[in-house]
Amino acid sequence: MSAVALQIHDIICSYGSRPVLDGITFRINKGDFVGIIGPNGSGKTTLLKTISRVLTPRSGKIVLLNKDINFMTRPEIARRLAVVAQDNRIDFDFTVEEVVLMGRLPHLRRFEKESQKDLAKAHKAMELTRTSHLASRLITELSGGEKQRVMIARALTQQPEVLLLDEPTSHLDINHQTEILDLMKKLSRENKLTIAAVLHDLNTAAHYCDYLILLSEGKVFALGSPQEVITADNIKAVYNSDVLVTNHPVYKRPMVTPLSRLEESPEREMLNFSVHVVGGGGAASPLLQKLVTSGYRVTAGVLNISDSDWQKAKALGIPVVEAPPFSAITEKGYKNNLELMQKADAVILASIPFGFGNLKNLEAVLAAAQNGRFTIVLEEDDITRRDYTDGEASKIYYNLIKNEVYIVHSIKEVLDVLAQEVKKCKGGN
Amino acid sequence: MPFNLRKTSWRTTVFILFLLLTGSMVLATGIGAVRINPVEILKIFFSRIPLLSSIIVHDWPQADETIIWLIRLPRVVLAALVGASLAVAGAVFQGLFRNPMADPYIIGVSSGASLGAAVAIVFSVDINILGLSAVPLLAFIGALLTLIVVYRLSKVGGNVAVLTLLLAGIAVSSLLSAAVSLLMFLGGEKLHQLIFWLMGGFSGRQWNYVKMGIPYFFLGSAAVFFYARDLNAMLLGEEPAQHLGIDVENVKKILLVGASLLTAAAVSCGGVIGFIGLIIPHIVRIMIGPDHRILLPAVAFIGAISLVAADAIARTVLAPMEIPVGIITTLCGGPFFIYLLRQRKNKAL
Repeated sequence: MSAVALQIHDIICSYGSRPVLDGITFRINKGDFVGIIGPNGSGKTTLLKTISRVLTPRSGKIVLLNKDINFMTRPEIARRLAVVAQDNRIDFDFTVEEVVLMGRLPHLRRFEKESQKDLAKAHKAMELTRTSHLASRLITELSGGEKQRVMIARALTQQPEVLLLDEPTSHLDINHQTEILDLMKKLSRENKLTIAAVLHDLNTAAHYCDYLILLSEGKVFALGSPQEVITADNIKAVYNSDVLVTNHPVYKRPMVTPLSRLEESPEREMLNFSVHVVGGGGAASPLLQKLVTSGYRVTAGVLNISDSDWQKAKALGIPVVEAPPFSAITEKGYKNNLELMQKADAVILASIPFGFGNLKNLEAVLAAAQNGRFTIVLEEDDITRRDYTDGEASKIYYNLIKNEVYIVHSIKEVLDVLAQEVKKCKGGN
Repeated sequence: MPFNLRKTSWRTTVFILFLLLTGSMVLATGIGAVRINPVEILKIFFSRIPLLSSIIVHDWPQADETIIWLIRLPRVVLAALVGASLAVAGAVFQGLFRNPMADPYIIGVSSGASLGAAVAIVFSVDINILGLSAVPLLAFIGALLTLIVVYRLSKVGGNVAVLTLLLAGIAVSSLLSAAVSLLMFLGGEKLHQLIFWLMGGFSGRQWNYVKMGIPYFFLGSAAVFFYARDLNAMLLGEEPAQHLGIDVENVKKILLVGASLLTAAAVSCGGVIGFIGLIIPHIVRIMIGPDHRILLPAVAFIGAISLVAADAIARTVLAPMEIPVGIITTLCGGPFFIYLLRQRKNKAL
């Protein structure tokens, strides 16, 4: 069974000669919650207006639930598709109930009065949006958040299968934002309502939406899961702004932190501070995560392909010196590793176990330390318990800590030491 | 709120208002230089209805019948029609512009009518169609021409932008007003007559005016009543209305033309009578809410009652002199409008 709710095919739309939408194509499946993002003027609102047939595109096709909207009457569209617009200025004293009940309009014949059934549907929508208690209040007396919820109730009263929202949370406090987006999420999950929302805030979009469509200058720039769409490179290309994209520790969704354009900002300093991590076998994964989240430029090596540190590094987009699975580190790997260490501002040796296969990693750290690289040794466990080389690793290790290195025992300490070093470097400049 | 009729059913509201209108029309017909009691008025009225005439005992002086039937009743009926038209047109314009401060003259229809009337009066145009003189005829033509010009000006690629409509209305209206002023300047001894017309009134109006106004009254009313529910949705904004399945562009054009026809007919029958179209929709909205399905009929009744009352005052308060009814409506409406403005301000604080 095809479960496509909305299909947009090669839409071209222009105000005058300036194309606002320039060949937009995508599809939205039933029950998906899709976010439309993009900078101001990228065509988000125009796209919504075109889908709801407020604007007629110059060319292209829009298929709503298997029917071309050009062959549908307006009430026909309104029975399937509801829109919550951005501007909800109402100067007339309708009661909330009257406004919500207007959602039944596309279902009524001319001069047909709203029945008890229609009223029941309006009340159901008001319950969902928690506006029942406002029923007899005047719409002109409501706060922004209440009004927004009433407009959503009105849209739901249309009993649509597809709901379009234009920046539904732009004028709301954070608690109301969360409330409305949670409601949207719930409706898409439980009622199989298909939702497409223009969202301004990238974090909100990444957090709530199943899929994102990133628009840039009237074109689809990227499209896919939040992880695929929200990357530092995409944001740089579309918004022309430097951001830090990290993974939300709990929700596993990308999180965007804008970086100040001021030279002096601490984030900038961090971003310019590179750290090379020597890991392997999964022991370095929490450290890698933490370093990236904190904003350091991280490299890693030498990691065996498909071991868990390697997977983590790849997921975080960290450049890695690789070795084939279960193979010893070659001379070439050793050299590449050392080269990355030389480029880095700091080298961190994670608390990893050593076997004959990765002794070269330890040697590389030693070489770097002897070369005067700023080195941190993370010792979460005693070396003897991690030594599977009959003491050979321990020997190099003791040799290493004779150099001027920081020995720390937790990831937190690593970060503290690094932060101090960042400060010092900044002072030094 | 003193009279909250929001919860009253449509039928009850309309029935009550119908009784009130009938009552006020009968009373208004009765007062004047010769006082005639309501029972006699009703008898005279019903004796004119073919089937009922045989039952009614003919026991009144013929002079009374002449006064009632030929002088007062047409005037009262005309005042009711004009009052209803202005009030309905005002309500529709306020809805269309999504602005409670709009009135029927907002797009300049009245200026066109004034110019038509001014031309007829100053140049003593002598035509007579269906018993109507040049003044109402040219006023009506002027009003319609203005509507066409303003409508054309504000149409961009098949769509009528409400803001452009407003601006075009202001521009055309000031142009026409300048022309009227020029005619007044050149008018000489006709000036008095022209000013009297511009102030609005029903002095000496007979059935022929009613006959001229009534088709447009029903045509315009039918158009706007038909789209009353759509107008409700349009108060949410044009786009939200479209999202509710309403063909906004078409509805807008029909409502615009309907309300303008009502205004044109009203102005050419009674001159430029102020404040009815602005104040009545306000008062009624406070009483029964903004739902146009009941608002429009209620506004029609209350507009009619108000203008019938105002006209009764206009011809009796300084009798035998007659004050132009526009002065009465403005004298009553002005202070009330100020009161409303203050209410609004307090609400905003």
